[in-house]
Amino acid sequence: MGNFLDSYGFLIVSTFWGALLGLSVYLPLMAGQLSLASPGFYALGGYIAAILSTQVLPHSGETYPFGFVLLEMGVAGLVSAVLAVILGIPVLRLRGIYLAIATIAFVEILRVLALNLEITGGAIGIFSIPQPFRSPVGYLWIALPLLVLTMVLLYRLEQSHTGRVFRAIREDELAADTMGIDPTYYKVLSFTLGAILAGMVGAVSAHFFNTWNAKQGTFDNSIIYLAFVLSGGSRTFVGPVVGGMVLTALPEVLRTIANIGGIPLWLGGFLQAMRLIIFGLLIVLGSMFYPQGIVTPELLNRLKLAFRKQPKRIST
Amino acid sequence: MLRRRVILPILASLFTFVLVVACTQANAPTGTSTSSAGDSGGAAGGNPIPIGIAVAQTSNVALLGQEQVVGAKIAEEYFNQEGGVNGTPIRLVFQDTAGDEQGAINAFTTLITQDKVVGIVGPTLSQQAFAADPIADRAKVPVLAPSNTAKGIPQIGEYIARVSAPVAVVAPNAVKTALKIDPNIKKAAVFFAQNDAFSKSETETFQKTVQEQGLELVTVQKFQTTDTDFQAQATNAMNLKPDLIVISGLAADGGNLVKQLRELGFKGLIIGGNGLNTSNVFSVCKQLCDGVLIAQAYSPELTSPINQKFREAYKAQNKKEPPQFSAQAFTGVQVFVEALKALDTKTKLSTLSPEQLRTELNTQILAGKYETPLGSISFDPEGEVNQSQFYVAQIKMEQDGSNGSFKFLN
Repeated sequence: MGNFLDSYGFLIVSTFWGALLGLSVYLPLMAGQLSLASPGFYALGGYIAAILSTQVLPHSGETYPFGFVLLEMGVAGLVSAVLAVILGIPVLRLRGIYLAIATIAFVEILRVLALNLEITGGAIGIFSIPQPFRSPVGYLWIALPLLVLTMVLLYRLEQSHTGRVFRAIREDELAADTMGIDPTYYKVLSFTLGAILAGMVGAVSAHFFNTWNAKQGTFDNSIIYLAFVLSGGSRTFVGPVVGGMVLTALPEVLRTIANIGGIPLWLGGFLQAMRLIIFGLLIVLGSMFYPQGIVTPELLNRLKLAFRKQPKRIST
Repeated sequence: MLRRRVILPILASLFTFVLVVACTQANAPTGTSTSSAGDSGGAAGGNPIPIGIAVAQTSNVALLGQEQVVGAKIAEEYFNQEGGVNGTPIRLVFQDTAGDEQGAINAFTTLITQDKVVGIVGPTLSQQAFAADPIADRAKVPVLAPSNTAKGIPQIGEYIARVSAPVAVVAPNAVKTALKIDPNIKKAAVFFAQNDAFSKSETETFQKTVQEQGLELVTVQKFQTTDTDFQAQATNAMNLKPDLIVISGLAADGGNLVKQLRELGFKGLIIGGNGLNTSNVFSVCKQLCDGVLIAQAYSPELTSPINQKFREAYKAQNKKEPPQFSAQAFTGVQVFVEALKALDTKTKLSTLSPEQLRTELNTQILAGKYETPLGSISFDPEGEVNQSQFYVAQIKMEQDGSNGSFKFLN
């Protein structure tokens, strides 16, 4: 077990971050807003944590105090929230593809800013970020509670008044408006919640990666996080979690498959070299056969039924 | 519905495969290797000693990473033919880092926990080193960086050293050579790609050197590695009438910038940074590349026996002169092999536990002196390389403008 955690600790925690970042894209999507701003807030959170831990917060001893990490996450969440509100009010007047473009622009602005500022270390970034844990597995102490908490909150959110309002705006904003709902307020709310989550994940990730640079918040990442949601499923919060975990783990699982003993050398070499191609192929196949994502509300309902009434199976 | 019947079993089998992998990995420290270890010439028996190579075999950095793979493979074959580590062959284990930090950490973790390597040569980029090296340092696995030139790499930890001389040491040589060629140079303009980590730290060195050499730094212009049009920056700089232009960028953008500067009528000397240190620039600026000066950490023309053997082996395989990245990767493997040999002569390697072996090996690496294709090198106590000589090359293009070569000036 110890060996297993040593080998896969980093990967396991990475999949949790993948799930959380998927959720941060999913939150605005709940209210029908296609926002690609998550990497921007993620990068921002990371820079906040990196700067605070290397320059502001004093510490002694080998490991960095756990409380400071939580403090950084709090600061990152707060700054992200403020920025999201300021950005969200004008930007969320845009719809569909125009909103997506505006959020891409926001990510680019932050990236170029990070490249040019002294405090962010330019293209090299910030390095030697202190570690709160002795091994990557330790980050489970943050990742697991954060993911469970977020999922519980989202579960409650989907059942609550706010969740229904989100859904109403997603299905038909005009109709929701005529029912007396203030769409701007709820759109900014969903956008801000996503931003807070991305900022907090960014803050821990800076410690997790030991270093932080402008490559963390790029347009590429926007698309990857969107892929988490689209392949996992965009209609229920379980989708982004599954999508984020699977897509983060897949390239590494393929690497491991190539590595196990007993596999002929040529096949191992093939898998090793081709793993990213196979990864891409699986995404294409996934979106062809599962346009709604792997996890849909119907699937969840079927599972629920299957659990409740064991003998009665619904034929497909 | 038929589709679902097809795709679900596929997903299910993939999932089972994952589970199988997760459960069996503990007793499978095999890993893929080039497999040349077993059949190597005179090397006697014993389990081959695994050395990890974690470089970017895929992604946008793959051009560099693949040159490193070639260099490392030549080293594996060469040293195994020479008898490996006092009779025990070495075995290189390759793990792809791709171009990002996550990939580098994953490759390092796999090498350390599953392939159980004695040491690692890698990663390709400095940014990746900042992410992955602390992992190796905490696991007490010695790392030799083949191409990380940013400030602060050996300072990451006591198990981290590098064979690639930092830019601060290599780059000034080009400016000095330029002044030797044309002592009348007074004004210098500096260009750099601001979104590239290497160019950013290189330009700082260039700017400092220019000023230290008593030149007037008239302007600093920024561009992006993705740019293709440099008219604005070039005109700005040309208006200040510099005698020397220094460029830190990568092959495509740097080459284009050289071309556009020449087209706008710049007649003075141009110095290219290490990013232009590849034959890939020839096809970008063609005839106009001619005369660009580039400082290097490696010269194929070095006449030491080890470099001649390396050069021959490389040319036999690739039909061209070995580039710096291949030579540095070769050097990384060489340092491990020679340190292992020295250690084995003191205490038999088989009597040491893996942890002891790695710790002792790290001490041995820092203590030794090595005759490598790069010239003779040694390390300071932090793991920074001390390289005895550096080289400046000038690009010479042929008449037709499509082929060229680096001509070494010293």
